[in-house]
Amino acid sequence: MMGCTYTLVAIGYCLFFGVLDVVVFCCGDIAMFGAFGIVGAYTVLYSAGLFGALPLPLFVLLLLLIAAILCAALGLVSYYVSIKPFERSSTLMPLLSTIALGTVIKEALGLVFQPAINGMAAAVTNPAVPDPKTVVGGRNPQAMPSLIAAGGSMVQRNITIILIMVVILAVLFLFLNKTKMGLSMQAISQNKELAFMTGMDVKKIIVITFVIGGLLLSVGGFVLGSYQTIIRFDGGTLYGTKGFSAAVVGGLKSTWGAVIGGMLLGFVEVFAAGLIPGGTQWQNIIAFVVIIIFIVFKPEGIIGEKTIEKV
Amino acid sequence: MKDRWNFKLSAPAIVACNILISVLAHLIIVMPFVPSMAIMVAAVVIILIMDRYGAVNEIFDSYIAHKKVAVVSGAVCLVVIPISLTSQNYAAQIACTAVVYMIACLGLNFQMGSTDMTNFAPAAFMGLGAYGVGVAVKHFHVSPWVGVLIGVAAAVAFGFVIGLPTLKTKGYYLSLVTMAIQLAFTQIIYITPFLGGQGGLTDLASSGGRFTLFGLSLYKRYTVAGIRFAPQIPYLIFCGVVLVLLTYVAMRVYFTKSGLSLNTIAQDEIAANCMGIHVSKQKLFAFVIGGVFCSIAGSLYAGLDAYVGPDTYNFSKSLMLICMVILGGMDNSIGIIVGTFLLTVISEKLRDVGDFQQLVYGAILVIMLIVRPNGIIPKRVRNYCAVTGRTIQKNVLKAAKAKAGKPAGDKG
Repeated sequence: MMGCTYTLVAIGYCLFFGVLDVVVFCCGDIAMFGAFGIVGAYTVLYSAGLFGALPLPLFVLLLLLIAAILCAALGLVSYYVSIKPFERSSTLMPLLSTIALGTVIKEALGLVFQPAINGMAAAVTNPAVPDPKTVVGGRNPQAMPSLIAAGGSMVQRNITIILIMVVILAVLFLFLNKTKMGLSMQAISQNKELAFMTGMDVKKIIVITFVIGGLLLSVGGFVLGSYQTIIRFDGGTLYGTKGFSAAVVGGLKSTWGAVIGGMLLGFVEVFAAGLIPGGTQWQNIIAFVVIIIFIVFKPEGIIGEKTIEKV
Repeated sequence: MKDRWNFKLSAPAIVACNILISVLAHLIIVMPFVPSMAIMVAAVVIILIMDRYGAVNEIFDSYIAHKKVAVVSGAVCLVVIPISLTSQNYAAQIACTAVVYMIACLGLNFQMGSTDMTNFAPAAFMGLGAYGVGVAVKHFHVSPWVGVLIGVAAAVAFGFVIGLPTLKTKGYYLSLVTMAIQLAFTQIIYITPFLGGQGGLTDLASSGGRFTLFGLSLYKRYTVAGIRFAPQIPYLIFCGVVLVLLTYVAMRVYFTKSGLSLNTIAQDEIAANCMGIHVSKQKLFAFVIGGVFCSIAGSLYAGLDAYVGPDTYNFSKSLMLICMVILGGMDNSIGIIVGTFLLTVISEKLRDVGDFQQLVYGAILVIMLIVRPNGIIPKRVRNYCAVTGRTIQKNVLKAAKAKAGKPAGDKG
């Protein structure tokens, strides 16, 4: 389950890194933005009386659509604000600027979504088992409306999440390998200059990549929110870092590597929580240790070519 | 290049300049939000305009030329600013916080500015120092000075531990390692009851957590000549002295061969390696010395707040320190001090207005990176001859004059 959520963010990182060779560190925050977009839209639509009027799947789709549009727009903003100005400068600049942008997104969420606004939504949803870490000391722990299998069991919800995941992967796979746009994205990922020479509109494709990444991340935020049941404005930092770690573990340029890495990271965490006594507290730490070990000893990832730096 | 202003400040002018800077600093700290911001913006704009015509560098050169006057008048100002705050607790608190952050940022600069390794864990290093003091006071019931030593020792060890992966990684990977370490640090403290867990170690003051010097408490309300001073004032003076010492160390390191090597690694690591610079050793050195600076800052912060908690030393604090270094100007100690001062004051004054601190940091960082990625006072062009002393410098200049038309060995 954790693996699924990490995988979505990891794919986002892979898409961006593949096309632009930069790491967009605000992925986690964009996903969080999507989750909060759903919460906000839910509150607005609920008060508009749409909740009962529409059948639930349609309602969920509507919410997802709103979140997807918001995230895609934010993806574009992050490209124009934090990536484009630094195309020709050192690699650290986009890194810092995306992190800073992530902070801005995060804090804006914290300011807009005060707990009082969402009191109603929290009352409506059935209180599932809240993760204690997300509740203690939070500025705005928001209850995520339990949209997937409302009233159903945890198992049902988990299966739904895995299904969503598989569908998304299938669509992404088809898109990347069967459509012209997807193939051009792969071409740019392999060699930007050559792709440009063969007449591809590189700029357009980069922009489209950010839109698609935004869509993916909105689903990621939706899945994460549904899984954790309670979301916080600053959840994106941890989530994004782990997504990036998953991408690195898998190999930064490969989409399948991201899937494997995400699953691996998820399994490590769950096993740490399950097998070690008192391991729930340690799961994040163990995940980070795994990441550090991976970066130090196999920085090119599971699937990925070793690069040797030349002068 | 536009026409540059060529002028040298005389000794009295330097004293006047120091007084002007102190008055500005005093006003910025003491004034309420709006006028304080106005003065700050005006000062930054003036600095930027002056820098455009090269005047800031001229002033630096004049300061170096009249070193003694500058140092003595600066020291006087350093004592006068804290005393001028008299009984204003809050202003003194802001000033203290600013000084502590300045020390941490100087440490971070060794890694970020000099060597171009973005370290996302300076707050973890600060935390080491702070928890050193906290543990020493709370669990071992010894003086906080012992805590400082514990913190420094921990920072050296931790610097090695962080430094080792950096020998193998760079760029994004290095950033990720340090980020993971920072996040893991917070998580580890959360779950360690010995370190107070999420609540942190509170009420250090009652267990003797305040620093004392020669039997005098550095955090106490003193009444001198009928004026009641805020309790932070002596501590502020003490922190200021530490800051000056550490700034001196940082500047000395900048001018040694080690500092030069760090800059070389920043520009091209492979070339540096080929030129016989021991890259791993220098990188470890940057991490260790930066860690020690941050740890000292953390210890001082613990002494100021009498509280050590995991949320004080989390990822956003690291981000804040990075933001300060970038705003001030990487690889320029004075610039960093200015940037840290401005940002600390902005954020502390914003506290009255609302919970915007992090938002403002993020926004300032984005804007600065786009508009002026080098910071308010960017790094100066290195005078490479200064490394080995003045005689050689003269010889090189002579040689340069002999080869008319060719510039001396400045890379620019």
